[in-house]
Amino acid sequence: MKKVDNDKTTARRGFLKNIAASVVAASAVVPAALKAGDDPALIKEPEWGSKLGMPADKNLYGLPSPYEHNVTRRVHKLLSSGDMYASVAMTPIHELSGIITPNGLFFHRSHGGAAIVDPNDYRLVIHGLVENPLVLTLDELKRYPSESRIHFIECPANGSTGWRSPQFNTLQFMKGMMSSAEWTGVKLSTLLKDVGIKPEAKWALAEGSDNSHMGRTLPVEKLLDDAMVVWAQNGEALRPEQGYPVRLLVPGWEGNLNVKWLKSIEFGDKPWHAKEETSKYTMLTPSGKAIRYFWPMEVNSVITSPCPDKPWKDLKKGDLVEIEGLAWSGQGTIKGVDISFDGGKNWVEANLKGLVLPKSWTRFSFMYKWDGKPILLSSRAYDDAGYVQPTIDEEVKAVGVEGIYHRNAIVTWEVKANGEVNNVHIRS
Amino acid sequence: MFTLEVKKLSKVAAFTLFAATFAFAGADKAVDGSMEYKVVNGTYAGVYKVNEKAVDAKGFKYGKKPTENELKATRIAVRYDFEGLPEGKGSVARGDELFEQKCAMCHGDMGSGGKGYPKLTGGDIDTLKNQLVHPENGDEPPERSIGAFWPYASTLWWYIKTAMPFPHPMSLSDDDVYAITAYLLSVDEVQIDGEDLDDDYVLTKEKLMKLHMPNEKGFYPDVNGKDGVANMKKFLSNPKNYGTPTKRCMKDCTTGKVVHIKATLDSGITPLVSVKKDLPKETGEKKEDSKFAKLYEDKCNACHSNDAIAPKVGNKESWAARIKQGTETLYTHALKGFKGMPAKGGHADMSDDDVKGIVDYIISKSK
Repeated sequence: MKKVDNDKTTARRGFLKNIAASVVAASAVVPAALKAGDDPALIKEPEWGSKLGMPADKNLYGLPSPYEHNVTRRVHKLLSSGDMYASVAMTPIHELSGIITPNGLFFHRSHGGAAIVDPNDYRLVIHGLVENPLVLTLDELKRYPSESRIHFIECPANGSTGWRSPQFNTLQFMKGMMSSAEWTGVKLSTLLKDVGIKPEAKWALAEGSDNSHMGRTLPVEKLLDDAMVVWAQNGEALRPEQGYPVRLLVPGWEGNLNVKWLKSIEFGDKPWHAKEETSKYTMLTPSGKAIRYFWPMEVNSVITSPCPDKPWKDLKKGDLVEIEGLAWSGQGTIKGVDISFDGGKNWVEANLKGLVLPKSWTRFSFMYKWDGKPILLSSRAYDDAGYVQPTIDEEVKAVGVEGIYHRNAIVTWEVKANGEVNNVHIRS
Repeated sequence: MFTLEVKKLSKVAAFTLFAATFAFAGADKAVDGSMEYKVVNGTYAGVYKVNEKAVDAKGFKYGKKPTENELKATRIAVRYDFEGLPEGKGSVARGDELFEQKCAMCHGDMGSGGKGYPKLTGGDIDTLKNQLVHPENGDEPPERSIGAFWPYASTLWWYIKTAMPFPHPMSLSDDDVYAITAYLLSVDEVQIDGEDLDDDYVLTKEKLMKLHMPNEKGFYPDVNGKDGVANMKKFLSNPKNYGTPTKRCMKDCTTGKVVHIKATLDSGITPLVSVKKDLPKETGEKKEDSKFAKLYEDKCNACHSNDAIAPKVGNKESWAARIKQGTETLYTHALKGFKGMPAKGGHADMSDDDVKGIVDYIISKSK
């Protein structure tokens, strides 16, 4: 019996060997069989089909395909304060699909570099005008009942290079100071129940433990409404660039208020007026006075396909194409998006698609047959709070051009006959 | 308790509010003028399922009460009414000295800027109404600086103490922070109680608390009184205040002319924008991860990555003449300090051998 088995095995091996040899022979022969109209990519056995792939023990933390190496965050010296520590790396939103940003591409803005915090030494202190001040370790914090919510975070300086005139011809640098994730953590309204906020406490100071010791003032009302202390983004621990191990999540509000490397929350009866509430993150208007504590990110949208980075150069006259984009509002849920093909004179309604969530990125879509003629393509979002995205003229008339922050005016693409797409402004 | 009352109220009002979601005009708004969403029948905002027993739970016994010492170490903020400001004193002259040593390399002489880092002084409150719309027509920008724009000096003290000098925050004594604060206020000609801050002026806690900055009233809404939060809500709930419309024009709307990009900033982007799907080019450059490369990154790169502050590592032109002086000289400069370079880059805790190792690494990258 044993001998017969061995013979069978040997025979099978030989059979497999013969097959392998014939496969090699066949693939070597195929190019000669290529006929007119054939796509060699289909006829020829590709390299990856005729050799082994990556073993299961390679990249135990997975990486994108090397062919995707151009899909990265990008930086610009002019958007930095002297060096790359107080700087921003922008998200390639022209390359994203859906409403979630992969963690490695989430925009990174910090004021003294991304701190690498030892989670064993992490402590959250809740103090000030409270009945029971509290210190929690990371493990203790994570014992509280958790919730997961999808929200975007946007730096209020997103798009600020466009106040006077268009300056970038790439979507990544026009709107890439924002990203979106599913965040997991504990609602502050849950966490604070046992702490007991005193009635005179109307304000809270959230502070980070990084090099800039970022401090920002928030009204208690918001903390108890929908703010969270979060430790996870898209199913894994926060990235250092997002405040590992713990950050504050303040849905819909200025990115800077979502304090990273969160160390303490102090309650008080007055606002603090931190540096990022006086010198910066205030909006100087033509009256000579500045708006402060401008918390929410207003309703906004942009067409992501086409865009200067992803033009229509491969489209032919009469091609049917999907116009797609992102809409978002820190003040509500996107209710709809209008599209204009003539620089804002006439508008038609686009469709929303996928998940439509409060204070979240929302995808919109419009099917279009391009006749190959130049168009001026714009999108305009509106939300369930009743707010509509302004034209550039409307926004500048109200707040001037020196405010730096909170620019949410309508974006217009000039699509040329050759499919090239340019960032333009429409001004009276 | 306060939080519970809010919860009860919200439950009573839940159905009314949810109905109002779809009829936004006049709907109750949250503190930022936004839609306020509630949990109704175990569902938040109509989309997220919620375990109400979990989010409403209380009586957790986790954590501990902070000790007095722990709270003292945690409380580093200085509020606008100077709550949290410690005792101390420092003269304008001492501040001048410290600024020269620790700040001027980034913020320029007397805080005048020019090195890529924020300009601190030399603004003008009378320019804050300026709008730089048409530079070609001679429009001037507003000139913001500490004295011309910042509403409270408390912020200045707080920020210097907890975030400066940039590579070594929390390294200045309270007296040094008083001195640098006094110096910056004196450069911007801010007065305290009608008094100029001359070289021999000594700033103390009592004096700083008397200071009203020239632009204290230059901000709105009024957030400091007992109606502060209500004022914010009122302001943010009126979108006219920030140029947000509430109506959509669909046909024959007012439009305008097309303005193109005059001078694009795209060329300054790193890495240059590309949407190609190809394999990355082999640069042949090996990623440096030696001990000294890491130490350099941690301790030196903040200044040595910007030629305006310190010779940029990798810039052969900046380093040629320095390398010519010989390795021993460069060791000495790094160890003992030289011109703008503080001894051991300000990291007194580093061993001499580590500093020398970093110098060798810098030379290898810059020759």
